[in-house]
Amino acid sequence: ETPKPPAAAAVCGGGGSDPVPAGASPWWAPQPPAPHTLRDMAGVAGGGGGGGGGNDFQWCFSQVKGAIDEDVAEADIISTVEFNYSGDLLATGDKGGRVVIFQREQENKSRPHSRGEYNVYSTFQSHEPEFDYLKSLEIEEKINKIRWLPQQNAAHFLLSTNDKTIKLWKISERDKRAEGYNLKDEDGRLRDPFRITALRVPILKPMDLMVEASPRRIFANAHTYHINSISVNSDHETYLSADDLRINLWHLEITDRSFNIVDIKPANMEELTEVITAAEFHPHHCNVFVYSSSKGTIRLCDMRSSALCDRHSKFFEEPEDPSSRSFFSEIISSISDVKFSHSGRYMMTRDYLSVKVWDLNMENRPVETYQVHEYLRSKLCSLYENDCIFDKFECCWNGSDSAIMTGSYNNFFRLFDRNTRRDITLEASRESSKPRAILKPRKVCTGGKRKKDEISVDSLDFNKKILHTAWHPTDNIIAVAATNNLYIFQDKIN
Amino acid sequence: MEAQKEAQRIMTLSVWKMYNSRLQRGGLRLHRSLQLSLVMRSAREVYLSAKPEEEELGPQPCLGEDAAGRAAACPGPQAPEERAAPADRGNAPGAGDPEPMETQDGSGDSARAPAAPAGRRPARGVSLPPPGKASRKRRSSSLDKPGAAEAGLVPTKKARLEAEEEEGERQPQGQDGPFPSLAKVLQTRFSGMLRGGPPKGPEPTPGCRPGDGVLSILVRAVVAF
Repeated sequence: ETPKPPAAAAVCGGGGSDPVPAGASPWWAPQPPAPHTLRDMAGVAGGGGGGGGGNDFQWCFSQVKGAIDEDVAEADIISTVEFNYSGDLLATGDKGGRVVIFQREQENKSRPHSRGEYNVYSTFQSHEPEFDYLKSLEIEEKINKIRWLPQQNAAHFLLSTNDKTIKLWKISERDKRAEGYNLKDEDGRLRDPFRITALRVPILKPMDLMVEASPRRIFANAHTYHINSISVNSDHETYLSADDLRINLWHLEITDRSFNIVDIKPANMEELTEVITAAEFHPHHCNVFVYSSSKGTIRLCDMRSSALCDRHSKFFEEPEDPSSRSFFSEIISSISDVKFSHSGRYMMTRDYLSVKVWDLNMENRPVETYQVHEYLRSKLCSLYENDCIFDKFECCWNGSDSAIMTGSYNNFFRLFDRNTRRDITLEASRESSKPRAILKPRKVCTGGKRKKDEISVDSLDFNKKILHTAWHPTDNIIAVAATNNLYIFQDKIN
Repeated sequence: MEAQKEAQRIMTLSVWKMYNSRLQRGGLRLHRSLQLSLVMRSAREVYLSAKPEEEELGPQPCLGEDAAGRAAACPGPQAPEERAAPADRGNAPGAGDPEPMETQDGSGDSARAPAAPAGRRPARGVSLPPPGKASRKRRSSSLDKPGAAEAGLVPTKKARLEAEEEEGERQPQGQDGPFPSLAKVLQTRFSGMLRGGPPKGPEPTPGCRPGDGVLSILVRAVVAF
């Protein structure tokens, strides 16, 4: 049972508020990104990006995947969601080590309603629980991250990782089968060679589509600590994997070797003050990557400068606001996710209460800060008690970088339009799951009189958390993981 | 007083979480452990600064030279003034007995390597020499390796009280990882408490002020961070 936070003084803010200016400088004002620059770079087709984000669209329920059961098996809890580069495939990983891939249906005149629907394409067990005998530790099979490789031929490739091992999976289709072998029957039984009187050439016959997943590479034994991120490089040949203290660079073809490019382990572990929480390659510059820390800082590194990138090229940190210090200030400043914009000019970080957009050219503060659920600031103690304060939320950009999305509690998720500065809170719930039903904006009441349709902070269900969300690379389709269910929402215009 | 109570509550909670984090699948998570220790440290600082004038510490062996090595301060017996000054930490000049090793300084103490396992403490009534830098170094260099106790590098003679608690169940899974000794210390220290709720029975140390018995144990459990 979830302990409810004590009724504390109301914290105003939360949904619907303007982004808070970063830092204490009075002269600073959040500058919206130059719209023309982003649109030029984005080149979005279809219903994407051109207009605003959250409020200009009408988000409609499209589909929900997963069991309706109240009793959720822990293995079914979704732990990662990722669209591929074209958006035709949507992969999810769960705590049980399973990967499920959905494919978008092609437009079909005979079934117009199914256009754009995602249906199961492939399911496979990526990781199994393992046991580290040397340390007497169990290694969880939970899939921490999935990253797709850009498609180069008919097959699809993705990387999936648990705490210790990364695997490259090939997903391929087979829709033909060879028939007419000489040495074996149609059912596969070997024929007696003496019985063969004539030779025939096997021919290919169509068969029901079969999608096979096979592990092509296994990248193991390179991480002492728990892997939190993987990121495919723009050169499509290498990728990085990051654990709490180290980042390794791999070549996709080579499994028995990796290069260590960041190592922040102190000689004396007693001096440890921060860990790596996320890492990502720059989308265009194959020598640049960033990593975030538990202290709320981001370091940008250039692999050309040295083999071991312990010295950053850029260091992003926002000065702390001393007035908001509490027992928990340090831990809520820990960054749980970092994502480059598609343009490569910005990056976004998620900490416990907010999302920040940084301009790579400015290190001393973010250019935009969005409060996700500021009303929780007064509840931090309760959230510490029920462990929610340790939840790691992810964030994502839309295709044109004009909007960002992140999750919250009570199955709420938030979308922010960077141009109009408007934001919207939506809910992923079975109640609002009628096909093409428009989602109603939700509002959390932070104090005073609760209006109709508002929900009070104390009524929020902290067991229903949305940690993982993904936005289609070009269209306005979003995938939201709510515990064991995957919700897909589309913009009505689509 | 409120702040102090709150800080104490948070410290207790943190220790509980540290203990439980050993039991979860996948082993001790470095990030989580670090975060818990940061909260623990903040709470301790508030607790110490909020505590009104304390009597000078008496003879405080207090199971104090704890395994922890760097264990957090036992706030009760020691004067807050001494604790407050980072320079004094660990030196406890007036005491002659350095109460559980103070954390070294603000910046460095948030995450600690495994310190000595629960074997290392002097017999009751004996004070350790003030932990100068040299002894700290030695301790850490030899004792931050897992299995130091088994290797015979640390004394395994345990104080009398501990023997009672040792009969607790062994931990279900030998969770080690980066903080191997934390497991041992928490196991021995808290098996009784965690099994049966708040500690009852013999006071941990006659030397400590009775009211702070529980707290001193709890606080000393900030091992290895």
